[in-house]
Amino acid sequence: MLLTLLFVLVFLLLILGVPVAIALGLSSLVFVLLSGSPPDLVVIHRMVNGVDSFPLLAVPFFILAGNLMNTAGITNRIFDFAKACVGWMRGGLGHVNVGASVVFAGMSGAAVADAGGLGTIEIKAMRDAGYDPDFSVGVTAASSTIGPIIPPSLPMVIYGVVASSSIGQLFAAGFIPGLMMAVALMVMVAWYARVRNYPRDARFSWGNLLASFKRAFLSLLTPVIIVGGILGGIFTPTEAAIAASAYALVLGVAVYRTLTPRRLLRVSFDTIETTAVVMFIVAAASIFAWILTSNRVTEHFADLILAVTENPILILLMINVILLVVGCFMETIAAITILVPVLLPIVVKLGIDPVHFGVIMVLNLMIGLLTPPVGMVIYVLSRVSGVPFERCVSATAPFLIPLVVVLLLVTFVPQLSMFLPTLLYR
Amino acid sequence: MTGPEDGKGEASSAPPHFPDADDGPVDLSDIRPEDGVVLVFFWVLAGVVFLQFFSRYVLNDSIGWTEEIARYLLITVTFVGATLAVRKNSHIAVEFFYRYLPGPWGRAFSTLVDLLRIGFFGAATWITAKLALKTNQKMASIEMGKDVVYWLVFAAFLMMTLYALRLGWRHWRQGYSLLTRPGERQLID
Repeated sequence: MLLTLLFVLVFLLLILGVPVAIALGLSSLVFVLLSGSPPDLVVIHRMVNGVDSFPLLAVPFFILAGNLMNTAGITNRIFDFAKACVGWMRGGLGHVNVGASVVFAGMSGAAVADAGGLGTIEIKAMRDAGYDPDFSVGVTAASSTIGPIIPPSLPMVIYGVVASSSIGQLFAAGFIPGLMMAVALMVMVAWYARVRNYPRDARFSWGNLLASFKRAFLSLLTPVIIVGGILGGIFTPTEAAIAASAYALVLGVAVYRTLTPRRLLRVSFDTIETTAVVMFIVAAASIFAWILTSNRVTEHFADLILAVTENPILILLMINVILLVVGCFMETIAAITILVPVLLPIVVKLGIDPVHFGVIMVLNLMIGLLTPPVGMVIYVLSRVSGVPFERCVSATAPFLIPLVVVLLLVTFVPQLSMFLPTLLYR
Repeated sequence: MTGPEDGKGEASSAPPHFPDADDGPVDLSDIRPEDGVVLVFFWVLAGVVFLQFFSRYVLNDSIGWTEEIARYLLITVTFVGATLAVRKNSHIAVEFFYRYLPGPWGRAFSTLVDLLRIGFFGAATWITAKLALKTNQKMASIEMGKDVVYWLVFAAFLMMTLYALRLGWRHWRQGYSLLTRPGERQLID
């Protein structure tokens, strides 16, 4: 049947190494041409419509804000501040790694940006302090997934657009689960530190803390603007993104004076390229999603799942397994665009809030970033650290345990996600 | 003709391009004059979104046309920006299985990928032209046809086709591609 062909084709194209967006677009085009009923114009029409959305404007400007922050030397300041806060604990730099990721998560919406920007500094610092590379890579990889859970978050923006739910509420919902991930990872680090007898990397001193806080203060205002502005209901996500970009621009040009015209040009092009890559996938995935919806695949899938069981706990477990597997094979943005129309009707039928489900979905896909074959974060860290890919995979594997524990908690205790959105918005 | 054989090498691993701290000179060697177009679109988009934000907060009255124009500019930045990513071959792809493929197979498959890429962009260019010709709606807020957006998308797909042809030719001549020898690639999420 044609639909089977569609799935087989997209799977083969992806494995073959065809870029994700082209694999989705090409297989959809072949499907439309073979089925003959909608004219081929629909392919381009759907692609363009897929990115024709006002909330999606948050995407380029969160990317811009993050890039500007990285350039203005702000990552270094955050790392130093985190070191003064938690560096005195046993296995200090491991904790610093997690802490810095939490702060950085408040200004960046992408795990890979975290791994590539902050991760470079973290891995170098840990190597210089004599930590074994496996541990450094594992902590850096796992902690970078906090980025898209704590607001702002590109995957949450995409989810909000596709599921038509409030992006502000989704951001609020991710806050507590993100902090839980940090705590879980720090417990893991503490355990490693005891077993392997890691050193303490800095002595705690109020003076040091104060000094690094002063140095980082203006940078630390960025997450306050973004997270506070959105959760406080002052900004929409798009407004927060443009406000943060403007703030970072002023900081880089006038205050820190690190942003030369050439650097601004570099940042602009990096932002354009990343935006285009993300949005092109959204465009291509939305044709694919449209085919699934208009051919009632989504309904059949819902019936199929509900025929197996109607027990919400079992269904949620099944969906988690599906998402984890898909997350291994598919790029995050494409997975969200395609799977939301398929899975959302099922969970809504079970009485699960779409906002809660957004957190579950993004968390699942973030774990997928740490596993082959499409483990983006691992690829980046392998290049940054010089540790071979296979070894990075096995180094990160133990850190999946705390993340999966948090995933299960977030899945089955809706209050963890829903407490803040309910408090702030409802 | 640099090329040794097999597909598994960790060859040419320059660190990925991240705009990092204050170190060293800024490398702009990957930028071409034609990228000026998308640069202008991008900063106009930023200006329009900022204007929308500013008018809502400071003037307490958001300017009506900003929303629609911002959406069209986002479409333009997406597709024209995607040409840059085609030229640099930085659209995200799964190179994983090439690690375990013997050289000749890797070569064959990666050539097939190049051909499929050219085919898709070529078809998309053709279809977009047809769509643009059929569109005669007007934009809601300003006096301009909606087909302008489609013609911009058409131009972008045309560029992507040309870049894809050049990329394919280059891969063919040098005997390897990013798939068989993963080097620099910018990533997202």
